[in-house]
Amino acid sequence: MENIIEVKKLEFEYKTYDDDGNVTGANKVLKGIDLEVPKGQFLAVLGHNGCGKSTLAKHFNGILTATSGQVLVNGIDASDEERIFDIRQNVGMVFQNPDNQLVATVVEEDVAFALENLGVQTEEIRRRVDDALRAVNMYDYREHSPHQLSGGQKQRVAIAGVLAMRPDCIVLDEPTAMLDPRGRSEVMHTIKMLNEQGVTIILITHYMDEAVQAHRVIVMDDGVIVMDGTPKEVFAQVDELKAHSLDVPQVTELMYGLRKHGIDVPVNTLTEEECAEELLKLPHVKLRETAKKADRADNDSTPYIAEVRNLTYKYSVGTPFEATAVDNVNVSIKKGQFVGVIGHTGSGKSTLIQHLNGLLKPTSGEVIIAGKNIWEKGADIRAVRFLAGLVFQYAEYQLFEETVYKDIAFGPKNMGLSEEETDKAVREAAKTMGLPDELLERSPFDLSGGQKRRVALAGVIAMKPEVLILDEPAAGLDPKGRDTVLDEISEYHKNSGTTILLVSHSMEDIVKYAEKILVMNHGRLFCYEDTDTVFSRTKELQQIGLGIPQISRLSHILADNDMDIGKDIYTVERAKERILEIINA
Amino acid sequence: MLNDITIGQFFPGKSVIHRMDSRFKIVLVTVFVVILFVAQNFWGLGIACAFITMVYAASGISFRMILKSLKPVLPIIIFTAVLNLIFVKDEGDPLVAFWVISIYWKGIQTSIFMMLRIVFLIIGMSLLTYTTSPIVLTDALESLFSPLKKIHFPVHELAMMMTIALRFIPTLIEETNKIMMAQKARGASLDTGGIIKRAKAMTPILIPLFVNSFKRANELATAMECRCYKGGEGRTKLRVLKATKLDFFATALTLCVLGMVIVNNIVF
Repeated sequence: MENIIEVKKLEFEYKTYDDDGNVTGANKVLKGIDLEVPKGQFLAVLGHNGCGKSTLAKHFNGILTATSGQVLVNGIDASDEERIFDIRQNVGMVFQNPDNQLVATVVEEDVAFALENLGVQTEEIRRRVDDALRAVNMYDYREHSPHQLSGGQKQRVAIAGVLAMRPDCIVLDEPTAMLDPRGRSEVMHTIKMLNEQGVTIILITHYMDEAVQAHRVIVMDDGVIVMDGTPKEVFAQVDELKAHSLDVPQVTELMYGLRKHGIDVPVNTLTEEECAEELLKLPHVKLRETAKKADRADNDSTPYIAEVRNLTYKYSVGTPFEATAVDNVNVSIKKGQFVGVIGHTGSGKSTLIQHLNGLLKPTSGEVIIAGKNIWEKGADIRAVRFLAGLVFQYAEYQLFEETVYKDIAFGPKNMGLSEEETDKAVREAAKTMGLPDELLERSPFDLSGGQKRRVALAGVIAMKPEVLILDEPAAGLDPKGRDTVLDEISEYHKNSGTTILLVSHSMEDIVKYAEKILVMNHGRLFCYEDTDTVFSRTKELQQIGLGIPQISRLSHILADNDMDIGKDIYTVERAKERILEIINA
Repeated sequence: MLNDITIGQFFPGKSVIHRMDSRFKIVLVTVFVVILFVAQNFWGLGIACAFITMVYAASGISFRMILKSLKPVLPIIIFTAVLNLIFVKDEGDPLVAFWVISIYWKGIQTSIFMMLRIVFLIIGMSLLTYTTSPIVLTDALESLFSPLKKIHFPVHELAMMMTIALRFIPTLIEETNKIMMAQKARGASLDTGGIIKRAKAMTPILIPLFVNSFKRANELATAMECRCYKGGEGRTKLRVLKATKLDFFATALTLCVLGMVIVNNIVF
């Protein structure tokens, strides 16, 4: 088959300059890449942040040019200045942040942007724009303005903007990293459909469930390609993937774990269906009834730290846009608990948590933190913010000080702590978030994305709140960054006894750490139960549109086929134990 | 609080005024301003009033919106009226005289005349923004000023900047809100203390906003390059401004009104 992209011995280095423009150093990002992408392929590129995958992608359409080596697009050298617009037209690019790639104030004009640049005739632009918008299923929104759209919709508009050029190949650099699960599936659906129509797709991603849908997966680390093969081939090498700081699908991990216990199962299963088929071949007995655990959480005398009573919040009261974001919610959270908060976008979960530290004032109802009604007459609302610390999504965007130290000290200083107390609080918080001392005097803007995130988290932890509320603390990080941040938070929870509310779209992340789960749906409390109980209702969770971990879906398939391993399966570890129990017996 | 700001005051519609070529609208609004200044007496203003009333009726913009457009300039209107009232002198005895102030009949006339002139001026210009989306307005300005390209005036670049600004204003407002919330959560007090304290308290909001804007600008520039952006040279348009019979009719009508006002000046 003909190759659309050929990369030969590609090397690339960023040069650093001093103030006079002299080269002071070079940072080699790509260290000899050889790659051929046949026409029509769906290629997924994996690798942790900083491995060079985005840099590689920018060579495919001549945004960057090789330090040495060559990139050919349809046989044309991508560094050829004369043909640069042919190349950019043939290889379209879509980026991570949906906001930062839309240029025009109207959807259809944005889609037309590339065609206008290329000097295409007006009638032809109109035809191609309409086609492109229909292809990504956004035609009905053609006259909307981008800021009225959801993240997934904006990303589809961005794809349409590229598609209008009728490219042979579309390169997508983490297009779903900033989207909620619904947006992600919209975008993935679009990508797969385009690929079926013959467009070559190169998808850079951190999500393994997206990579398994590709024809071919390459893994990059430290500027070179370290693995290359079909998803089945690549994901079967669990140890090697982990060495490159990457995830594997949960079922693959399960099979791998079972093999280690001497069970003869293939490791290269990627979907729950495949995995179930293999497991059902094993001889097994019925699961013993496990004694139901006593209801401990509600019988103990631990005091409540955060309560909301009949909480209702309405936006834009008295205007035609009035809408109820939170509708009569009652929740009591006990001191010291690790609570996971889940619900899809617009479920009211963000509104709910912003009430807990007094950023929003309830339309009706009460918020009680540490026994005090925070909106009582004479109550100090700023004191509540120190009691209940809130870390927003993409918290690194709030950093502003000259040094990391000063930034972390912002909260404690606002609390009115003395120099020494502040110093102690800053150093402790930095240590909690794994920030070494030498980092404290650096500018926060010089740090990597993951480090910035941890500085922002430390900034709130330094205020030593009784309740720490985290809105998607791991959003947009790579698998390793995600695990590090969440592990540090969990460690902090254990050591300090602080009550934690972890808001996330990822059920996998929540079940790994939370004792109790709070589910919001359409502004109402769907349930607030311990994790096992919540998972006895997985069917209902799926009905309200929440994704459940792959391993839970596997347990359902097994149960339907007379191999019950229990309804409370949400971690690979537990699934493995249960399976070993019933097949060894 | 920042959510209340709406950018532009465009009311989408399908009236004849909405359908007009925006370049003609800009030029004709300018002609209307000229009419207002050519008119030397109340008859002239009366003609302008009849004209603009008719145009508003055709546009379907409600009377309430006219009042709304006047609200922000009310102080200027009152100020002008008072100045004229006090300083316009006439021969003969004043109508009212106390302390150093004396008011003449002519002063009252001039004052009302100037007031009406400003009111019609604002109403006329508002009609343009009410019936033309900012983006179309930008296109029209780019097209009207394109002759200036000959003297190397960056017409296309300015229009592009304008478009991007319009695109990002809502995004930046949203972002400002988020950053404000985040800093409040860290105990920043944004609305207490004196002016200097408050200005200082803005630092934690402005710095992240600037840093993020530079990042956005960078990413947007790359995204634009990827979509073959190379400046205004050889660019075509999805939406082409096209003059129709309607526009020529409107032009004829407006020139007629101008003529009437001039004739009226000569006759009276």
